[in-house]
Amino acid sequence: MNNNDKYLSVSALTGYLKYKFDSDEHLKCVFLKGEISNFKSHSSGHLYFSIKDEKSKINAIMFSMNAKKLNFVPVEGSKVLVVGKVSVYEATGNYQIYIDEMLEDGVGNLYIAYEKLKNDLQKEGLFDEAHKKAIPKYPKRIGVVTASTGAAIKDIISTIKRRYPICEILVFPSLVQGDGAASDIVKNIEKAENYELDTLIVGRGGGSIEDLWPFNEEIVARAIYKCGIPTISAVGHEVDFTIADFVADHRAPTPTGAAEIAVPNKLDVLNYIDQLKIRNKKVIRNKIDFLNQKLNDITSKYILQKPMSIFEVKEQIFDNILEKLKHNMLNLYNQKEKKYSNIMTSVVFKEPIKLLDIKTNKYLQIISKLETLSPFATIKRGYAIVKKEGKVVKSIKDLKSKDKLLLNLNDGNVDVEVI
Amino acid sequence: MAEKKEKSFEENLANLEEIVKKLESGDVSLDEAMEKFNEAMKLAKQCDDKLKNAEKALTKIVTENGSLEDFEIDS
Repeated sequence: MNNNDKYLSVSALTGYLKYKFDSDEHLKCVFLKGEISNFKSHSSGHLYFSIKDEKSKINAIMFSMNAKKLNFVPVEGSKVLVVGKVSVYEATGNYQIYIDEMLEDGVGNLYIAYEKLKNDLQKEGLFDEAHKKAIPKYPKRIGVVTASTGAAIKDIISTIKRRYPICEILVFPSLVQGDGAASDIVKNIEKAENYELDTLIVGRGGGSIEDLWPFNEEIVARAIYKCGIPTISAVGHEVDFTIADFVADHRAPTPTGAAEIAVPNKLDVLNYIDQLKIRNKKVIRNKIDFLNQKLNDITSKYILQKPMSIFEVKEQIFDNILEKLKHNMLNLYNQKEKKYSNIMTSVVFKEPIKLLDIKTNKYLQIISKLETLSPFATIKRGYAIVKKEGKVVKSIKDLKSKDKLLLNLNDGNVDVEVI
Repeated sequence: MAEKKEKSFEENLANLEEIVKKLESGDVSLDEAMEKFNEAMKLAKQCDDKLKNAEKALTKIVTENGSLEDFEIDS
């Protein structure tokens, strides 16, 4: 009953798996690409790390004898291309790749650098729309920073010639790939500022990501950002944008595209000039029509048609006033005349004698009245006035015996004595 | 010794645009409008002629020392 014979030891299983790995032709020499993580450089000179991509991860070991041959310093996150065999490390039961050779994955690392620079510059505001300059509609002179040979410059020149031949083109020949290209591009962008350019095209024809790399360099981005001329980036590529594209005032997908953006089409401009001519004529015609109408309106006014009507109205007013004046004068005259005639017909003026007679009669009447009242008349009839010591005596009580009295009679006075 | 200070195509076109816009704004006397109208038509003709008779685009290359030289590209 030695049933235990069925059961394998861990090392037996692991040994078996190792044998399986090691005998597999495909696993003997594996070409692998990925990104380094959990990187550890042991004092022995061996390198321990993992290689991963978005989904998976594999442990890796590079012994010091191979590690010594590396032409770069691997770090966390480095994109690498490795060659090695996959086998099992029996002590842990892990399978891992034993790396013989490791190279930097240029494209992968470029991509990382690209992403980082893009983020940094974006944060800094180099891509802000507010900073973008408008591309002049009708440029006089355009600068082109690109290689003086090759398709890019040919395309740009022929496109501008075809579309807008009155535009002048200045070529700033520049390296556009390889070492020194970025600084050469920067130098030419700076130089271009001195040539009174309306627009600057910076670019090159299509190529691999490494070829286009200068257009992803920070110094180029900053030079474009700083450039006072409106810039159009023209890097011939299809999918991704270069950093230069983000920072330029305008991005064109190809050099030909850049030339099309930089200059208008001659036919469109001629058409536009025609339109301006039409508008110009129309506006002047409208103005003349309008003024004509206004003039007609004014000249057809009643007053200009019948100018005498002004006079007629005035005449009427004058007549009215005159009428009133006459009437008032007549009234006044009549009043005065009546007064005069009243005066002239009065007795005083007509029969002044009669007035005298009346007065004379009245006088005589008064005289005769006076006569009747006079004491002399009474005396005449036989009465006398008795006076004592000059005073008229009215009562006997005022008299006593022997008083001497004076009597006034009609024809004289006589003295008497009371007995 | 041809016309001194001849205005560029771009200046003439900008000028033309401006005149038409000003006329369209309506804030111009008739005398001025007539004058501007004539000027605009003259400018339009100049622009037209210049564009129609434009010679081949003038292409220069900026040399290392900054001077300009004619640039011919073999096609």
